[in-house]
Parts: sequence; C-alpha cells; structure tokens
Amino acid sequence: MERVAEYQPGSAADFERLYRNSYRRILGTLVTMLRDRAAAEDCTQDAFERAFKAWKSWRPDAPAEAWLHRIAINVAINGQRRERLQEAGALVLRLGRPSPPADVAAVAERSELLNALRKLPPKQAAAIVLRHFHGYSNREIAISLGVPERTVASRLAAARGRLQRLLEGTRAAPKKNG
Amino acid sequence: MNGPGDFERELEQELHRILDPIAAAPIPLRRARLSGGIMKRLVGGAGAAIGLKVLTGFAVAAFAAVAAGAATEVAVTGSLNPADWGQQVTQTVQTCKDTLRASGTRGIGPCVSAIAKQHGEQVSDSHQASKARENSGKDNGKGDGKGHDKGNGSGNSIGNGNGNGNGHKPSGSGSNPGSSQSGSSMLFVA
Repeated sequence: MERVAEYQPGSAADFERLYRNSYRRILGTLVTMLRDRAAAEDCTQDAFERAFKAWKSWRPDAPAEAWLHRIAINVAINGQRRERLQEAGALVLRLGRPSPPADVAAVAERSELLNALRKLPPKQAAAIVLRHFHGYSNREIAISLGVPERTVASRLAAARGRLQRLLEGTRAAPKKNG
Repeated sequence: MNGPGDFERELEQELHRILDPIAAAPIPLRRARLSGGIMKRLVGGAGAAIGLKVLTGFAVAAFAAVAAGAATEVAVTGSLNPADWGQQVTQTVQTCKDTLRASGTRGIGPCVSAIAKQHGEQVSDSHQASKARENSGKDNGKGDGKGHDKGNGSGNSIGNGNGNGNGHKPSGSGSNPGSSQSGSSMLFVA
C-alpha cells in the first residue's frame, strides 16, 4: 500500500494518481472474489467510479487505498449477488467476446487456490489476499473490510483454516479417484 | 504443507504466482462516469415508477369522470349516443315553439327554461341516486362492525353485505341468513 503518497480529497489529479497506483492491487483482490477476470475488471472500474463520486468526502486519516478497497469489496459482493442471479445472462453476453489473454486466464481458471478462495465468504477471501498478497496490516484490513481491528485476526485465522481444509479436500479427491 | 507457517508461505507463493501476471497487465483508462447519468435516473428507477403511478391515477380519474357523466346522460335520455342527447334538447325547443305558435303567445324563454330545469333536476336526481347507493354501501360496511361488537355474530356482515351490494335499502335481518336477533335491527336504527 502506498503509505507516502499524499492525496488531496476532491483533487481530480490526485484521484488519477491514486487510480494508477492502486488499480492493479484492487483488481488482484477482486479476481479472487469474482467469477473471472472480466467481471473483476468491470467491478474495479465500477469501484473507482463510486470512489470518485465520494472522493471529496474521503478523509486522509485512513489510507486511501484501504478506503478504495472497502468500496471495491462492497462492489464485488454486490457483483457476486448479481452473478448468481444473472448467471445465464452473463454467459450469453460473454459469447462472441474476445477471450482474455490466454496465459492469465488459463492460470487463473486452473488454480486450485483461486477456486478455493472463491468458495470462501467474500470478506474472508479478501482478508486472505490483503494480508498474504498485498501485505496489509490488521488496521488496513479492518478499514478495507469495514470491521473492527480486533475482529481481523480471528477472521483471518478462520479463513486460513477453511481454505486449508478446502485445498486438502481438492488434493485428496484425485487420490481417492486414482 | 505441514504447519501453519508452511501453509502461509505456500499461500503467499501461490497468490503471487496467480496474481502477479494480473498485476503486470497494462492499466486501462479510467471509466469517466456512471453509465446512464441524470437522464437515466429521471427516466428509469423510482422516478419512472412514481410518474407512471401518477399518470395512471389521472387517467383513471378522468375516465371515471367521463364515464359517470355519460352514464347519467344515458340514464336521463336513454341513449348511448351523445348526438341523441343534443337532439332531444332540439326537439324539446321545437315543441315549445310549436306550442307557443298554436296558442298565439310570444316568448319561448319560460318554456325552454322550464324544460331545462326539468332536465337539470333529472340529472341531479340521477347523480344523487348513484351517490346514495355508494354511501349506503359505505355506511352499512361501518354498521356491520358495530353490530358484530354487540354480539350479533358473523351473520350480520354476510347479510348486510348482500343487501348493499344489490342496492337495496337495508331492512333488518331480511337478507341476513345469520342473524334474526334484535342486534341486527339495532344496527340499522343506529
């Protein structure tokens, strides 16, 4: 997380800088929560639109990227709900679109970890990514998830335990079959 | 994957393997504004729903007013055709003229005035009759509740409902299959 950068609430230039600095990390988080990269990109853009609307009211006492993450995670949770409701419609819309770059998509779709993360409650998946990929502190995770800081550790422990069980289950299944 | 530390290390490595290529992708241009904008908000969503309700309300009210006027005119003239209503007035005026000519008197005004007054009273009576039907329905609806409280049982509501629906004057327990006690007549007296 960019701790040094100073952003001025309401400044369009600063928001553009924040966008460039944090776009990839926000996208990285949302990829683990949503169906695929296209959905994650869409939600990321949506999150930045919402953040821009609220940019004037952002208070610099919280890290800007954690604040952005909070918006993005909420957008992703709503996106997940929409996905479940419009699964068939989304499939039709995707037909005929150019497929995303093969390397990223292939890695993402094949990954057991990603599949397991997507089975976790969205905020647990986000907590795992924020800690183990972005290296956020408990305070930053607390801001991002909109929960008290003291809840973060227990939530992370629960998420790790569940993830470990899910992954062990996936790895045990082929052995049984084989 | 032996201990928690190993799992966390493996988790981090795997996350980097998956997400680093995504993080290396070029950053697209930021979407400028929410799709739709002000017009969408005005035309769609709650605004449209409320607007539609208001329009429907006006349309229903206008239709009801026209229908009530036409029904009254039909009741008085006995015809559905508005041209017939005008024709009836023309005929009446002609009759006045003929009568006056035959009697050799002048001044068609009082004759036409008398007929117009008569027509007005007919229309007014028709209005009042239809209002009375509506009001009696409402009043009896209220009365049912009182009667029930006074121990008349559920028969009241059934009986009175039938009577009012047919436009009859409520007449005690006559149309009431469920009550023959004094509670029913008390209800109508009140």
